[in-house]
Amino acid sequence: MKEIFRRLSEAMGPAGAEEGVRKVLEEELEGVVDRLETDALGNLYAIREPEGEGGLTVLLDAHMDEIGLVVTYVEEEGFLRVAPIGGVSPQVALGQRVRFLGGAEGVVAADHLDDPKELAMKHLLVDIGAASREEALARVQIGEAGVFVRPVVEAGEHRLIAKAADNRAGCAVLVEVLKGLKASPHRVVAVFAVQEEVGLRGAGPAAYRVDPDLAIAIDVTLTGDTPEAPKMAVELGKGPAIKAMDRSVIAHPAVRRLLAETARDAGIPYQMEVLTRGGTDAGAIHLSREGVPTGAVSIPCRYVHTPSEMVDLRDMAGARDLLVALLQRPITL
Amino acid sequence: MTAAQFLETISELPGISGHEGPVAARIREAWAPLVDEIRTDPLGNVIALKAGEGPKPRPRVMIATHMDEIGFMVLSIEQGGFLRVAPVGGIDVRNVLAHRVRVLGRRELVGYLGMLPPHLTTDEEMTRPVPMKDLFVDVGLPEERVRALVEPGDLVVREQRAVQLLGGRMAGKAFDNRASCAAAYHALQELARRRHQVDVVVVATVQEEVGLRGAVTSAFGVAPDVGIAVDVGFARQPGVEKDRSAEPGGGPAIALGPNIHPQVYRFLVEQAQREDVPYQVEPVPGRTGTDAWALQVARSGVATGLLSVPLRYMHSTVETVDVKDIEATGRLLAAALAAMEPEWVRGLSR
Repeated sequence: MKEIFRRLSEAMGPAGAEEGVRKVLEEELEGVVDRLETDALGNLYAIREPEGEGGLTVLLDAHMDEIGLVVTYVEEEGFLRVAPIGGVSPQVALGQRVRFLGGAEGVVAADHLDDPKELAMKHLLVDIGAASREEALARVQIGEAGVFVRPVVEAGEHRLIAKAADNRAGCAVLVEVLKGLKASPHRVVAVFAVQEEVGLRGAGPAAYRVDPDLAIAIDVTLTGDTPEAPKMAVELGKGPAIKAMDRSVIAHPAVRRLLAETARDAGIPYQMEVLTRGGTDAGAIHLSREGVPTGAVSIPCRYVHTPSEMVDLRDMAGARDLLVALLQRPITL
Repeated sequence: MTAAQFLETISELPGISGHEGPVAARIREAWAPLVDEIRTDPLGNVIALKAGEGPKPRPRVMIATHMDEIGFMVLSIEQGGFLRVAPVGGIDVRNVLAHRVRVLGRRELVGYLGMLPPHLTTDEEMTRPVPMKDLFVDVGLPEERVRALVEPGDLVVREQRAVQLLGGRMAGKAFDNRASCAAAYHALQELARRRHQVDVVVVATVQEEVGLRGAVTSAFGVAPDVGIAVDVGFARQPGVEKDRSAEPGGGPAIALGPNIHPQVYRFLVEQAQREDVPYQVEPVPGRTGTDAWALQVARSGVATGLLSVPLRYMHSTVETVDVKDIEATGRLLAAALAAMEPEWVRGLSR
């Protein structure tokens, strides 16, 4: 799990340009599933046909895109102006290193402000070491996207600090599920979705294409276990979280029950999650066609949408075990 | 059973968005004898079909009345066994303090939204509502018992009996939008005595209060040619402007605006006039915030109308309606459905 997560986290995949992540996933999943497909938006489908009959079509989703920056303008002096891709805060971006899709690297700086509280996205500059507009434009293009640069580090025995743990943690879990799955009566379609961070845009078309009987999104969620955190029952290291609700979805009661029962039967510790901020691909999936019974399994994650997101390997392993256990049993909704 | 009796029953049942099971079962039971087919779709929408007499293929008209209500979900359990809660839908923190609730845990518990005594509240605190993050539910049990019976994600339903007021009005919780479910029931009762050409599909939708979600999926499933949403609208009361409200007792408000197909609006007005059903006109310049908004853009587009039952104190547990308006809304729906010619529907798109 750790190595797959490392490869996925360190790959580049800003929303709308997920090729780097998709390539890693294709390498990991070659020969593991019956078929790999990619649609026009870039969603990757890993399809595993059922053993036996009477099963459901189960869609598992993990988005593979990450937040980032996009070049909007180049100053005469060679500095890049940027806009956010997804939920990037200027305070978090300042001082970070950025790598653009074409390979240029730089540091996020800002206009001088008398009051640092005023810092807004429009004040940010990316310095790629270019001395002029011409030099800068020889290395990056207007509209080119970039992501933060951070290697994965281990924090203690179980915890990892990484960029894009949101949602490469979910992608890593999904890869491990596909690798660990023995006989399943269900047709399993794992979707590695694009463009979640800019409004759950990949998962809707993917759900339309798969037309599943049941769907489960795997994504990170916030925790309430840091000092003065807003009230939330989820803690890092206490197991995968079964979602009851977020801003985009109210988990289908039968799916939520099924997940909790499966976890209890398999002896997997789990937590219940109510997230009052943010949404997940489950929001787009459950509204597809005539509606899809949808739930979500979340990986607790601290410092979400910073380049130093923290996850716990035990929660990821728990999520994997829960999903494998679920897919190996008969399901009636 | 009268529409008022039906409203009384369904308003008291729990049916928070996404968990409409109990109220859906009761609605299905009441509607079933009045229709030809009834089913529940993957998200829980109750979909009832009353086939028309016209030649096939018959145009389909979908009536959407959402049945979900706003409420709370347990967010966390804290020291002392107090429950912190998250809102489901547009909870108004000004009207929930000191309210009785039902906590639907492993076992159902009675609880109250606790609050500070006025003696311990500063003058400044007195002037502003208590924010959602400071609300808590007390179920009167020690912490270990609470933890054994309740978990995050459990539902917390506002408790309120429906009350008949003198003069034909009623007050209670979840009249938004069970009043319209009762109007649809009234319409189906009327329609049982009338003939109609078009296929009528009445849908009790889920999850309107969290973003018209049930209307999105049920409209895809039903694929109607014409859609009419029935919801509650603002009734006149002190503080509400005349041009943004309807008179209670004055009949359903027929909406017009960009969300509404002009011919559907005109048709509804004509039928009200022809059958002498009192009605009002409600101009809505933008989004109506009702299932009509989702219906209109389902599949390749739906000619959409909207009827509103005037209601006071929306999103409180003392929502007040006039039974006459519920009945008039039902009568108007029945009249419109009976008068609708397949040719007229086909003429909406050429």
